[in-house]
Amino acid sequence: MTLVMVVDDDQDLAEMLGIVLTGAGIDVDLVSRGDEVMEVFRNNPPDLVLLDVMLPGLDGVEVCKLIRAESMVPIVMLSAKGDTQDIVAGLEAGADDYMVKPFKHPSELIARIRTRLRRTNADVKGFLTIGDLAIDVTAHEVRRGAKLIALTRLEFDLLVALAKEPGRVFTRDSLLSEVWGYRHSTDTRLVNVHVQRLRSKVEHDPEHPTIVTTVRGVGYKAGVVGAS
Amino acid sequence: MRPQRQPLRQSLAAKVILSTVLLSLGVVWLTGSALYSQLSDGIKRVNLESSLADARSVFYNARYQFLLVEGASQPQIQVQVTDVITSSTTLGNTDGAREIILLKVFEKGEAAKNGQQPNYSFASNGLLATTIPEDLRSNISKNSDLSHEFAPLTYRTGKTIDALYVGQRVSIPDSGRYDMYLVFTLASQGATLDLVQNSLLLTGIVLLLLIALITWLVVRQVVKPVRDAARVASLFTQGDFTQRLQIESNDEIATLGNAFNEMATSIKAQISRLENLSQVQQRFVSDVSHELRTPLTTLRMASDVIYAQRESFDPVIARSAELLLAQIDRFEKLLQELLEVSRFDAEVAVLEPTDFELVALVRRCVSDLGIVLDSPESQISVVAPKTPVHIRADFRRVERIMRNLISNALDHSEGKPIEIECVETRTEVAVSVRDHGEGMEEASLTRVFDRFWRADPSRARTRGGTGLGLSIALEDARLHNGELDAWGAPGDGANFVLTLPRIAGNEISGRPLPVNPHKRSEVKSN
Repeated sequence: MTLVMVVDDDQDLAEMLGIVLTGAGIDVDLVSRGDEVMEVFRNNPPDLVLLDVMLPGLDGVEVCKLIRAESMVPIVMLSAKGDTQDIVAGLEAGADDYMVKPFKHPSELIARIRTRLRRTNADVKGFLTIGDLAIDVTAHEVRRGAKLIALTRLEFDLLVALAKEPGRVFTRDSLLSEVWGYRHSTDTRLVNVHVQRLRSKVEHDPEHPTIVTTVRGVGYKAGVVGAS
Repeated sequence: MRPQRQPLRQSLAAKVILSTVLLSLGVVWLTGSALYSQLSDGIKRVNLESSLADARSVFYNARYQFLLVEGASQPQIQVQVTDVITSSTTLGNTDGAREIILLKVFEKGEAAKNGQQPNYSFASNGLLATTIPEDLRSNISKNSDLSHEFAPLTYRTGKTIDALYVGQRVSIPDSGRYDMYLVFTLASQGATLDLVQNSLLLTGIVLLLLIALITWLVVRQVVKPVRDAARVASLFTQGDFTQRLQIESNDEIATLGNAFNEMATSIKAQISRLENLSQVQQRFVSDVSHELRTPLTTLRMASDVIYAQRESFDPVIARSAELLLAQIDRFEKLLQELLEVSRFDAEVAVLEPTDFELVALVRRCVSDLGIVLDSPESQISVVAPKTPVHIRADFRRVERIMRNLISNALDHSEGKPIEIECVETRTEVAVSVRDHGEGMEEASLTRVFDRFWRADPSRARTRGGTGLGLSIALEDARLHNGELDAWGAPGDGANFVLTLPRIAGNEISGRPLPVNPHKRSEVKSN
């Protein structure tokens, strides 16, 4: 069964999240302090972390960085702040997605969690190449020559989504729907931040990207195969 | 006239100097004139007295000389007359101090003897007898004493000069009586008076200049601190409260400076107190909104769980679950808008412009409200240019403005059609949302953007609007440097026009769509 770690200092909300997630058939591990997260995380690694930003002990953004240092597990931030800088800070710390409290519908939360847990690009199998990168979709690995590049699941999905149709220009909206599973979101900051993160890992020079290139005014596309 | 007057009105120093100089001019003029008239009177009197004394001695001498030759021969008398004339005048000198005229008086009945008696009549410098004033001549005939009169003296050359005529009758032996005139030219007196006048004028001018200079120096002393104060005050207006006046003395100006500086300090303190207060206030609103979010999330999830189970409840509880969820929705929306308003109030609302297509956004906002566009029975119609309207603006905010305008129109449309129109110019885009509902009074137009304002408080809300929507829409529009205008007439519906610069932050130069929809049709038909 899937295990989700819920980190929130509000006991009632945590309990309610537990009820809703359990009702959806997801196991829940509740943690109420930021500085207790890593211990629980190591003892019982979850499939996904639901992380509040404002936490006692250790700030959610810091916790996010700690988890990222050890694991590529999907992280969804929960924030009572809708302010851009908080969201961007969470995403830059390594979160894959975020949700602003209060959620539109609890079902939306469950849908997001499921999207993050599901393998996107399930139809793609075997090997893909993009620039000088070799992607083993089945084994979930990306290599440059012999060197393995560690990507989060989301970054991997983003790269595969672009690489499976090299040369096609993806709008930010279409990436949001393909990779994040949003049908109606217009928050393109998610895409921007994750493209930056992905570039910092796969590009030779993130300032002059060749693997994930920007198409001005439209979106992104995978660099031409063989180009380096 | 204006450009000359303007600096005068603006400069205190110029005003003071000008009025001082004008007043001083009056005073100098008056004293100068008085002085001049006194001086000239004095000079004339002294001159007259000395001339008369002179004349008296000349006449006395003449009479004495003529007495001496009583009974002498004619040539002897002739010599004596010439002698008298020579000694009493400066012959040959045209501009001389005095002239002499000797005229024989023809008495009645003497005409017979006229032939025998010698005539010694003489005039120096060939003066004509006509130059002698008539009054004086008659005076002399009546009066044996000395007579005098001021009159112009005309030379044969035509030259005229002011002169003093003094005359007396004298007798020459064997020849009869003569009128003897001494003419004192007043040229030297005139020169003296001119000198006095010129000196007075010069003194007056120098005095005026000195007064102007002194006034300028004094005024500068007073005006400089005032100018400094004005400069510092204008810096205050620009928000710079760090400036202070330099105080270098211990006088009234220093008192003014001290009062001014104290005022600045107090204003600064007051401002920072108010700023602090408003920061605390905004911070509080924002904190409250944030703190409310967590319980609201729990509430929302709980009610969602209950709502999902409503079919298994008794109808009353099921309905309650529905109401609960609906009210939580409304509460949540209100909270969101409050937070947005607090951001505008705190001036921390930031524009995040992206490039997008406006018409697609408008159409999506309509369909998001559950209305199918482009079908004959659809309540809303959209008129837009055939080509895409690309703008650079904050997508989220423009979307929110459109949602607010459309749902507001739906709220008040009474089921009648709503027309949305998009137009573009080179620099602006505009979207109008027109309904044909109950409309608004003119007085309401200024208040529609007020927070929580309702046209008719007794009217029930149909769609559960928060009362903040239009106010936020206006702030959103202004954040783009755009504008949101409202028009309405009772029974004729309302019209809201959003005008945005094509690139957010640029100025808008006009309104591509007039807010009054009737004016627009006039323009079109023309």
